[in-house]
Amino acid sequence: MIDDETLDRQLCEAMPYIDDEGFTARVMARLPAARREPRWLRAMILLGLTLLGSAVAYLVSGGGRFVREGVIQLSDFPIWLLLVFAFGCGLVVGAFAVIVAVRKTPEVRDVARLRF
Amino acid sequence: MELTDADLVARVLLDDDQHAFGELVRRHQSSVRGLLRQLTRTDLALADDLAQEAFIRAYKNIRSFRGEARFSTWLYRIAYNCFREDARKRKELVGVDEAQLQAEHDPQTVDAGLRHDLMQALSLLPLHERTAVVLCCQKGLSHDEAARVLDIPLGTVKTNVLRGREKLKRTLAAWGPN
Repeated sequence: MIDDETLDRQLCEAMPYIDDEGFTARVMARLPAARREPRWLRAMILLGLTLLGSAVAYLVSGGGRFVREGVIQLSDFPIWLLLVFAFGCGLVVGAFAVIVAVRKTPEVRDVARLRF
Repeated sequence: MELTDADLVARVLLDDDQHAFGELVRRHQSSVRGLLRQLTRTDLALADDLAQEAFIRAYKNIRSFRGEARFSTWLYRIAYNCFREDARKRKELVGVDEAQLQAEHDPQTVDAGLRHDLMQALSLLPLHERTAVVLCCQKGLSHDEAARVLDIPLGTVKTNVLRGREKLKRTLAAWGPN
């Protein structure tokens, strides 16, 4: 009977590389048309909406008076409290970023699942 | 630096970048077409048609690729499903029993060459064994990956590989050492 090593070698060698010979082009020709707009256009739309939203908020708030009043109120707080608040916000945002990153990275997600 | 499959998939997902998908097709066309040629018993035209269908289906369903397995494994699964749907339509999902396997192996009629005999023997295996042997022994997939492609239990894959290999070795016994 033929041995395993010979069988394995023959099986591997029986699968030679197949030249493309226009195969990829034929596939691409059959793909549906791309529907998404270019990335720069999405960025411009987002920026435009942000500016529009900011302008509306400025006008509705009476010329940004709420911002000035907010800053005045914040300046009444002790410095250490402001630093703790800023640090806390940074931690919360950082934690969310790590969670999202872990969920999107299969290798890290598998390790996290094993250890926790 | 060459982009990985994951990078290319990300570009397709984020920007609907068809050039990135074209690169994925170029990278994997040989292995997908090779797999389908083995499954269709070297019907080249049918294999290429199914391969095209598989890549188009992959593009349309790229969002369902979660990145838990290799991109090639996911592609093989789609290609295998395309083959099964086509075979169902053609009603070719039949196995080959031992007697038929023995009867068709006539040393006096087959051409010389171990490679040719191997391809013949492979094409005569029942579909489930042939697919398992091709995926694990030719494509280099682990049993676990093959189980995902075929959507069958791991134990079944191992059994099919074992049985397929035993049948091939018996069929090719004439090429063994004396």
